[in-house]
Amino acid sequence: MHIKYESQLREPLVYGEKTFHQVTEDILRPIESKPSRLWYVGFFISVCLLMFGVYSVYREVTYGIGQWNLNKTIGWGWDITNFVWWVGIGHAGTLISAILLLFRQGWRTGVNRAAEAMTIFAVMCAGQFPIFHMGRVWLAFFIMPYPNSRGPLWVNFNSPLLWDVFAISTYFTVSLLFWYSGLIPDLATVRDRAFTKLRKKLYGITAFGWTGSTKHWQRHESLSLVLAGLSTPLVLSVHTIVSFDFATSVIPGWHTTIFPPYFVAGAIFSGFAMVQTLMLVVRKVFGLQDYITVGHIEMMNKVIVLTGSIVGIAYLTELFMGWYSQNKYEGYTFWYSRAYLFSPYGWSYWGMMACNVLSPQIFWSKKMRRNLFVTFFMSIIVNIGMWFERFVIIVTSLYRDYLPSSWSVYYSPSIYEIGFYMGTFGLFFTCFFLFAKYFPVIAVAEIKYVLKRSGESYKTGMEKLEAQPLDNFIHDNAHH
Amino acid sequence: MEQKKHWQSFGELNNSEAFNAEVQNEFKEELPFVEDESTLEKGGSFLQAKAPRRDFLKYLGFSTAAAAVAASCEMPIKKAIPFANKPEDLVPGISDYYATTYVQDGDVISVLAKVRDGRPIKLEGNDLSPLTNGGTSARVQAAVLDLYDTARLRFPLMSGKEASFENIDKAIAAELNGAAVIVTSSITSPSTKAVIAQFLAKHPGSKHVTYDAVSHSSMLLANEACYGKRVLPSYQFDKAKAVVSLSADFLGTWLNPVEFAKQYATGKKLNEKTPAMSKHVHFETVASLTGSNADQKYTCRPSEIGAIAAGLLSAVKGQPITGINDVKLKEGIAVAADALIGNKNAALVVAGSNDVNVQIIVNAINDAIGANGNTINFGVTVNYRQGIDSDFATVVDDMNAGKINTVLFYGANPVYSWPQADKVKSGLAKVKTSISFNAKLDETTALCKYVLPAPHFLESWGDAEPAAGYYTFLQPTISPLFKTRPFEDSLLKWSGDATDFTTYLKNEWSRKLGSETAWNKTLQAGVLNPTSVPTAGASLNGAAVANALAVVAASKPNTTIELALYQKIGIGAGQGASNPWLQELPDPVTRATWDNYIIVSPSMARTLLNIDLNNAGQADDYEVHPPKKVVKLTVDGKSIELPVLIIPGTHPQTVGIALGYGRAEAVGKAVIGTGKNAFPLACIENGTVHFNCTNVTLSVTGETYPVALTQTHFRYDTAQGTRTEVVKEITLAEYKKNPTEILEEREAETKPYGGLEKYEAQGTIYPVYERPGIKWGMSVDLNSCNGCGACVVACNAENNVAVVGKPEVLRGHEMHWLRIDKYFSGDMDNPNVVFQPLMCQHCDNAPCENVCPVAATNHSSEGLNQMTYNRCIGTRYCANNCPFKVRRFNWSDYSGADSFPDNQEGIVNDVVINMSDDLTRMVLNPDVTVRSRGVIEKCSFCVQRLQEGKLKAKKDSRPFEDGDIKVACQQSCPTNAISFGNANDKHSAITKVRVENPNRSFYVLEQLHVLPNVTYLAKVRNSDEHEAAHEASNEKEAEKKA
Repeated sequence: MHIKYESQLREPLVYGEKTFHQVTEDILRPIESKPSRLWYVGFFISVCLLMFGVYSVYREVTYGIGQWNLNKTIGWGWDITNFVWWVGIGHAGTLISAILLLFRQGWRTGVNRAAEAMTIFAVMCAGQFPIFHMGRVWLAFFIMPYPNSRGPLWVNFNSPLLWDVFAISTYFTVSLLFWYSGLIPDLATVRDRAFTKLRKKLYGITAFGWTGSTKHWQRHESLSLVLAGLSTPLVLSVHTIVSFDFATSVIPGWHTTIFPPYFVAGAIFSGFAMVQTLMLVVRKVFGLQDYITVGHIEMMNKVIVLTGSIVGIAYLTELFMGWYSQNKYEGYTFWYSRAYLFSPYGWSYWGMMACNVLSPQIFWSKKMRRNLFVTFFMSIIVNIGMWFERFVIIVTSLYRDYLPSSWSVYYSPSIYEIGFYMGTFGLFFTCFFLFAKYFPVIAVAEIKYVLKRSGESYKTGMEKLEAQPLDNFIHDNAHH
Repeated sequence: MEQKKHWQSFGELNNSEAFNAEVQNEFKEELPFVEDESTLEKGGSFLQAKAPRRDFLKYLGFSTAAAAVAASCEMPIKKAIPFANKPEDLVPGISDYYATTYVQDGDVISVLAKVRDGRPIKLEGNDLSPLTNGGTSARVQAAVLDLYDTARLRFPLMSGKEASFENIDKAIAAELNGAAVIVTSSITSPSTKAVIAQFLAKHPGSKHVTYDAVSHSSMLLANEACYGKRVLPSYQFDKAKAVVSLSADFLGTWLNPVEFAKQYATGKKLNEKTPAMSKHVHFETVASLTGSNADQKYTCRPSEIGAIAAGLLSAVKGQPITGINDVKLKEGIAVAADALIGNKNAALVVAGSNDVNVQIIVNAINDAIGANGNTINFGVTVNYRQGIDSDFATVVDDMNAGKINTVLFYGANPVYSWPQADKVKSGLAKVKTSISFNAKLDETTALCKYVLPAPHFLESWGDAEPAAGYYTFLQPTISPLFKTRPFEDSLLKWSGDATDFTTYLKNEWSRKLGSETAWNKTLQAGVLNPTSVPTAGASLNGAAVANALAVVAASKPNTTIELALYQKIGIGAGQGASNPWLQELPDPVTRATWDNYIIVSPSMARTLLNIDLNNAGQADDYEVHPPKKVVKLTVDGKSIELPVLIIPGTHPQTVGIALGYGRAEAVGKAVIGTGKNAFPLACIENGTVHFNCTNVTLSVTGETYPVALTQTHFRYDTAQGTRTEVVKEITLAEYKKNPTEILEEREAETKPYGGLEKYEAQGTIYPVYERPGIKWGMSVDLNSCNGCGACVVACNAENNVAVVGKPEVLRGHEMHWLRIDKYFSGDMDNPNVVFQPLMCQHCDNAPCENVCPVAATNHSSEGLNQMTYNRCIGTRYCANNCPFKVRRFNWSDYSGADSFPDNQEGIVNDVVINMSDDLTRMVLNPDVTVRSRGVIEKCSFCVQRLQEGKLKAKKDSRPFEDGDIKVACQQSCPTNAISFGNANDKHSAITKVRVENPNRSFYVLEQLHVLPNVTYLAKVRNSDEHEAAHEASNEKEAEKKA
């Protein structure tokens, strides 16, 4: 009888026989070599989109929100849809880094760095919308509760929009700290391997003087735990509060108590989909298949099918309540404005249903979960579906609310509304391309840590031990 | 085993000094401030390390200075120059009110002009006029904007070139020999008439012809035929318990609608204890404002009106109805006849037809039902319309025949509005001396040789006699803005009279009244009323009736599609077309702005357009997309292409087009691109202009044209239930059967929270607040409101509500603080209509207030939901969360008040840019902030007036009373549908309305517990038919429960 040191059930978290050095080499290669042509093309497109966004925002700030196609009935449209969408995407990163860290899920190490970066960029994108949807953005500072000479005039602490300000800024700050504190050891590695003075200097500054000393590691570990502890409630609170923007209102279709859990599930759903989209590209482009393995992909697909089903149940619950409440206004919103396919926005509701509820069900099949093409396709579908979800919630509720006299004409976005959205894509990908070029997309130090417990080299390292009979082991250990 | 040395760095391997030092220091905490460690080593504290603090102060100082420099960029300074010599009686910031009169063509309304710092900014009705009793119309309210119209002529023109009055006088003196023809619109001024008479006497052979674009010549001629007098009697709808209208739009555009609306509303006001109402039966060709208010209405073809009149005459005489095959119409005639006979001597029939025979038969009916001398008073004749179409037709022929050398136009614009405009043009080309007195270079004026700019009525002296014995006066409220000269001045001058009209008027009236003091006093009141009102009937000439009946009976029933040309309440026959406020005023019937269109019935839409409004999908598709199908309408070889609107309540085989559109661009920016001229479609029969045509063909062109509607959905029933919380209507029969039906409905709605009594406290988890002191409240009587829109324009004028132009209305960006919602119920082919004025409801538990992140909208201690524009950052959350959707957002820089310069060009259209022209801006009310781009605005309950009223009371050291204020909408309302005041005051009008009408009062969307401060009194319809929608919903709900 022999002892097995490596799990027979779990897949290795890193493929191939890797040494620590090999890991460093693999992951830092993109940083230390010239970017590929593909990188330049992608970066250029991103910057173009960003410029389109900047121009769109310039138009809107200079000439007014009238540059968008919102109206007296539909006060929010693409702007807040995109806001909620981006915030939702920004959920996966912290979930992966914080909650999975606390749950000791080793597989998170392959994806947490990029996911956290994605979170930060997504929240940056999300933040643009509530800021620039303001009619007078130059007075945006009014929403900060600062001591002033106006009375003093305070903000309205009853307003969910104010809660948003706090929730999102807190989330952003904590996520940023979390991400950056995790980056420090890796930045030090890049600094130590620097081949030019400038690199040494810059990475030296960003590494905050990390030496790898025990004390540094000790502090680093404690900080990570503290931040993980702080982030965990934030993962739940941010989207809960975003959902309050709607749930606390009086508008049929918004005024719904189910929103907080439903929004959080939806956020994780879309966040994971976005991580999938990015990871599949990153692992391919940077050749990191050994670190972001099919196992990782499968894990995330499981989360997707779970959260997709949760939102599905939420949709059905809403429909049920629309009928069960016997409230004619709710009934109209849910059963006509949304669920009736031939109503003006019926297509968006059924688009949402198809993308979010029906299509992820294919992930019950293991074969599909491990199929990269299917995964990539589905990750896009899910994000389209989640965009529709927010659009459905916002627009189909608003456009026909209480008074039939105020029912709106058909709303479709103006070029500048689309431009603003595209601009945030530009911002997101510009940031992500820069991140991928200048920062390690996988946590080098953490992978090395995982390597001690999983992967080929661990396996070979343990072969000698495993070959020993069990008696030897007992003997050796009993000795102690 | 050998102890292997593991090392992390070369330092550790080689045991270097630096490494050892680092190991030593690893757990040592150093304070980050210290730059120079020697300070500490010397035993000093870090507080002594001065460098960082100094640096800090340096940075602080620099950044503060930089920020100060950056922030002090120069702002443009606009200088306000005080009076060098302050005019007496003029207190800056205090308004003066001058009694004057709105005169446009034959329309006369006594008004008070509110003059602020020397410029009139608002017109209010003059309570002293017994005719209108303080009521106004949308056009009266908008007239003040015409004063500041940039398209007004600024100097006289001679052959298209600028000239002085002296030169023109000289030239005309040379040319004026022989006969001249003066063509004017109906002149109500006795003095002007005297001046004209003087001119005619001076120039023998000359004549004065009255030309009305939409004339009442058939009525004048019918009265001549029946009674031997070519006059229009005064109508008294207040005395009529039964009114039958044969498509006469007497609440909208027929004679003097303000007067009639006031009278009509008295019959519609319901006393809850002794419920009784007048009954109004309407025969409708194309859905109209008046028809929408009828208790019972029946649709008919325009060509059937004669037969209906004849049928009605037979019916009231107890004879069988002949000549009508339609069952519904027959029923309608019977219903109308019953109502008329049942209210003999208190009944009235009016007809909008311009067919002499129809009017003669109507006279006969009125005679038969005892209207003559009771509801129709020939003792007081009215002067609103005096034109006889055939007179002008003769002038046109004479001009073409070269018989006329000189023609003078004043207020008449036949080149635009005469059906055969080409003939007028060709005739005018043959006239040697053509003179026009006009404020603008309109279609006719543009073709005249001499153009003498006429002053606006607010710049003029004058008088008017709308009805015999009732005088109302004009006095200038501002010195003329441009080089204008009154028409009368010119005539006096050309008659060789040296006096100017002002002196003439003063002398004349001082003489009539006995002294100049009396004249001044009268002028102050603005009106001079007869001490006793004579009443007189007139005896009917039976032969004329028999003849008319024979003609009507001989006419064959028509089966082709028919066209009815109608006037809109704001635009009229084109007078309102250049006024942006009126163009943007949604038409009460169609809720469309800035255009005319073809109105078709739902049933014609099914066959012609393939749109079935009963099919939810097709109805949605039609409603949510502003581009409407364009149809080519051809009649009598003339055709017009216009978009189509489907308006229930229109006869299936009749289409309607509004007159007054398609004006020449010179009359103002507002007319550019708005609608097409439908006057050429009218026809002249027997010398009279008929605004109805038969043999109309319609063909769909395949094109679409966007129509700017402010309301797209009109039904309040949905598959999920009828929204009776929005609007409540009931029939008089039902009300009598169960007066508390509406109260019970409300009770049921609030039952989950303990019923109405406990609703306020139990409908919320929050404590209930005491609301002591003043609590502003409003009540709107849906029975009195006829949807005329005067309040909407009054609100625009009072509150500086921006005009946004057609492209913006199309995008749902209109800014109206007050709108009049319109709902249909019942049969979609001939539905019941309710108008519901909706403004901010000033909820006590306002959903908008708690969602604003910056507290820009909040509640005043007097129950106002107030908007702080300065604080607003424009998140629009409040607008989203408003269940009434009354909040308006400044999407673009509509007012030119933006801090970003030059951001209107290319963003908003020319009309809007023109509204921020320096001249146009003179109309702005200085008491109300002009809102800039990016902020929300909404009804404030005219808070500036409330403040003014409270201050007035305070200055008099007394508590605030009801009479101290009237809000703008309330003031303008001709039917007194709006009550306003302090709801905490037991004696106020608002409390009285609420206490006296417990059974009809309701709050819109009461079940939301937003606690509005506006009560509505439910619409009660005096018809026997059951309230179909109501009934259906109750049934449906009962079914569901079962």
